[in-house]
Amino acid sequence: MSHAAITEVVMAVTNASGVSLSLNDRMIAGFLSLFIGAFLVFGAGLANSSVLHDTAHDVRHSFGFPCH
Amino acid sequence: MIVKTLLAAICAGLIAGSFMTAAQELRVVPLILEAETYETAPLPGAPEAEGYPAAHEHSSRAGGSLFPSLASALQLVTPAYAHESAGQEAGHADGGIMFGLSRFSGTLIANLVTGAGFGLLLAGLGLVTSTPPTMRNGLVWGALGWLSVHMLPALGLPPELPGFPAGDLGDRQIWWLMATVLSALGLGLIALRKEIWAKAAGLGLLALPHLYGAPQPGDLASPVPAVLGAEFAVAALATTLAFWLVLGAVSGAINDRFLNTA
Repeated sequence: MSHAAITEVVMAVTNASGVSLSLNDRMIAGFLSLFIGAFLVFGAGLANSSVLHDTAHDVRHSFGFPCH
Repeated sequence: MIVKTLLAAICAGLIAGSFMTAAQELRVVPLILEAETYETAPLPGAPEAEGYPAAHEHSSRAGGSLFPSLASALQLVTPAYAHESAGQEAGHADGGIMFGLSRFSGTLIANLVTGAGFGLLLAGLGLVTSTPPTMRNGLVWGALGWLSVHMLPALGLPPELPGFPAGDLGDRQIWWLMATVLSALGLGLIALRKEIWAKAAGLGLLALPHLYGAPQPGDLASPVPAVLGAEFAVAALATTLAFWLVLGAVSGAINDRFLNTA
């Protein structure tokens, strides 16, 4: 892919979203966001800790996380 | 800028989590509390009342692992911890809600954390696929999130009340995670790609966990009335649908309002 084509793709991607992040920043933000989000959901929904389980008990059931 | 994007996602998640707490207290928690009164009662004619296995063999994950300590650290929930709330009422000292909070506070905090988590996952997927939630597509994002995290996995593992019979917890959590990830990938392929092969592959990914089959309990007997279970399954799926629609719409609104101009 030529340099011009890459630039075009990057611009298209940036414009399509309407968020003024560069492609690189977008990927960093995206994966950081996915990582932190997965960590939080894991902690509240699935983690191996009786304290976390008890605190989140009703939430685990009502979100349909496998529980008990 | 990255921080602002993450904060927007967390903010949307906190709003959806607060909303979810209200919906849960109205529709779901009363059913859980009612089921727990049956859960501790012995099943007529059965010496072991609880539907979950009292003791189970370690699965293949635990044995023969190259990294036993890593495996145990990453293990989801051990049988000893399973069913803590019933044990807690029966006088076990282990566990308990953190910081000595009330049950409602614990639920609120867990909803906020879960909401922020799903909000970040939604934003992350939006960023990685270059299709962030907006006012226009926020509800679609929410609906797809609900399908992949709740509805499709529920086809194999319906939302269950305390005291319901269920297969091995670790196996169910692994299956649930796989079903969720594969459903999200499948729906993503169907929604974001135009090619016919992508849509076919997406359908295949949706079907895969169900062809494999969710772990099922050996014995279906339960002390909890079936009507409660039916009401609970509907209430859980309805409240989570509302949660995801709010999450998608609020994420889209925040993105449109604050991130466009930044």
